[in-house]
Amino acid sequence: MIEVKNVTKVYGKKDNAFTALNDVSFTIEDGASVAILGKSGSGKSTLMHVMSGLDRPESGEIIIDGKNILKLKQKDVDKFRSKSMSFIFQSFFVQANESCYDNVSLPLEIADVAPSRRNRKIESALSAVQLLDKKKSKAKELSGGQKQRLAVARAIVNNPTILFADEPTGNLDSVTGGVIENLLFAYNRKFKVTLVIVTHDLDLANRCDVQIHIIDGKVDSMKRKKK
Amino acid sequence: MKIRDITIRAGRSLKQAKARTLLTSLAIGVGAFTITLSLAAGAGGRAYTDQIVSSNTDSKELVVTVQPPKSQQGPQKYSASSAGSVFSTAIGSTEVLTQTDIDRISKVTNVVSVTPNYNPQVKYITRESQDKYVASLSTFSPSVTLTFVAGSTNGALADNEIVLTQDYVSALGFKNAQDSIGKTVEIAADKLSAPITAPESTTFTFKIKAISSASGLAFRAQSSLLVSSVAAKNLYDYINLGTRGYDHFAVTSVMVNNPNNAQSVKDALTKLGYRAQTAADILGVVNTFINVLQGILLGFGALAILTSVFGIINTQYISVLERTQQIGLMKALGMRRRDVGRLFKLEAAWIGFLGGAIGSGLAFITGTIANPIISKALDLGNIRLLLFSPVSTLVVIVGLIIVSVSSGILPARKAAKLDPIDALRTE
Repeated sequence: MIEVKNVTKVYGKKDNAFTALNDVSFTIEDGASVAILGKSGSGKSTLMHVMSGLDRPESGEIIIDGKNILKLKQKDVDKFRSKSMSFIFQSFFVQANESCYDNVSLPLEIADVAPSRRNRKIESALSAVQLLDKKKSKAKELSGGQKQRLAVARAIVNNPTILFADEPTGNLDSVTGGVIENLLFAYNRKFKVTLVIVTHDLDLANRCDVQIHIIDGKVDSMKRKKK
Repeated sequence: MKIRDITIRAGRSLKQAKARTLLTSLAIGVGAFTITLSLAAGAGGRAYTDQIVSSNTDSKELVVTVQPPKSQQGPQKYSASSAGSVFSTAIGSTEVLTQTDIDRISKVTNVVSVTPNYNPQVKYITRESQDKYVASLSTFSPSVTLTFVAGSTNGALADNEIVLTQDYVSALGFKNAQDSIGKTVEIAADKLSAPITAPESTTFTFKIKAISSASGLAFRAQSSLLVSSVAAKNLYDYINLGTRGYDHFAVTSVMVNNPNNAQSVKDALTKLGYRAQTAADILGVVNTFINVLQGILLGFGALAILTSVFGIINTQYISVLERTQQIGLMKALGMRRRDVGRLFKLEAAWIGFLGGAIGSGLAFITGTIANPIISKALDLGNIRLLLFSPVSTLVVIVGLIIVSVSSGILPARKAAKLDPIDALRTE
């Protein structure tokens, strides 16, 4: 369970101060798929950064599995992120000059997974996104859709409990974007992984269990899909 | 993140920027090249002088002269005791040793023998029905290592025997070196005290015992013909008896009973007012010279490395800028600050290792090619003047790795401090 309690994040100081998040509170159940919706500049990306411990808000609490991650030391937040979270970005952020295999290997290396256990995990992640045959290809040789699939493989390789996706289909056409969406939701359902998608795509948001609308740094509405 | 994984990633990202890595490494390689060569030259030089000194001197032998006055400013004061006994050398004038001195030196404990350097000034050397040749004679010392083309002294030379150098073999009309052994030569000398109107001279006959070869280690003995010290004294007496300079020597050699006593005898002689030099002293003087030369070369190497330090800092800064996104991603995935810093420091370490390996490798190749050329040009025979040791090469490489890592600290810190959110926003 992820609890966000009274989170306020201010950028800049004094006259230039800009409140990106203003007293945001909500709760997400484990295994839910959540869409954070909002216009650009509304604070939805900041919310994701705060929830994942990448950014520290001025006040509030982020409680994940009973632990307030804002109270943890940076070292422990990093460890927490490497073990239980992963990310997918709009512009993929795959390492163009590295092979697909090495790209997917990175989170395992960061999380100190023993080398002997990596190969199996990497291959199953690559086959989950149907890129096993591209294992040795450099990431720059892939198409945009393939790159994002590679990013998905990198995100799921270490079996995270929370998967953050920042506009995962923003740079893709509707067909390849659909493939990525299907991958994410299938993974969310199969492994009960909490999926947090930051987007302004309403169609994508409609596929999620929960929709959180952010306007000017505040939660405007929170809709739960009826099961 | 494990060091092993970081090292592999660091190596991989360097491989992706091959040209830049190579050029930066080359800069540090220049320094490694200079330093490796200067270390090799120093080691070779010291080994060479060590060989020279040990094959030309004996650790039981001291070279003794009269101690010059402490501060010699302006001309020396005349003293009756040293009247007519000032010996002029190229460097200046020193007082000379007389029989009285030799007797005093002989009485010092642990001294076995005192032999003045006679160096008799003979007229010429010849042989029946052959031309006459100028010759310089030296005293044979069993402690000096000689190499022979033919014959051998076996550590002893009888008073009627002589050791010739190779040049005299054909000059004196022998078929070859072997042919000359056992044959006789004649040495003519003038009696200096004889009046100009009635010159007196005589010839001494010597049997050829051995032919010494010109060696890379030739220092003093091999360049002249060698006779026993008794024969040298006989010649000297005949030539100089009755002259003013008779029995006045600039240098005398003192043998001690044991190499370990050389220093104590030296101290005793210093107290008596003589200047004594042991083999180690002579070696020390030559080595100081080599060390200074080596120091200059090392300085140039250090300068080259200093320059490459800025190269590494610059390259690594650019690398951090270029890979802002990658750094952001790694941090987002939970990579710790310390590990991000390590990644860049290890990249610098790779550059240092490459530079060191390239530089010392090139130095080794250059040295291997140059050694025979140098030896040939300087006529050193089989001696190698550039000695490479694995240990010093390893020290150079490890040292360069440390230097590179330290120059990578600033860029690594910049990378470690990058805010992942800002980094990921960079498009």
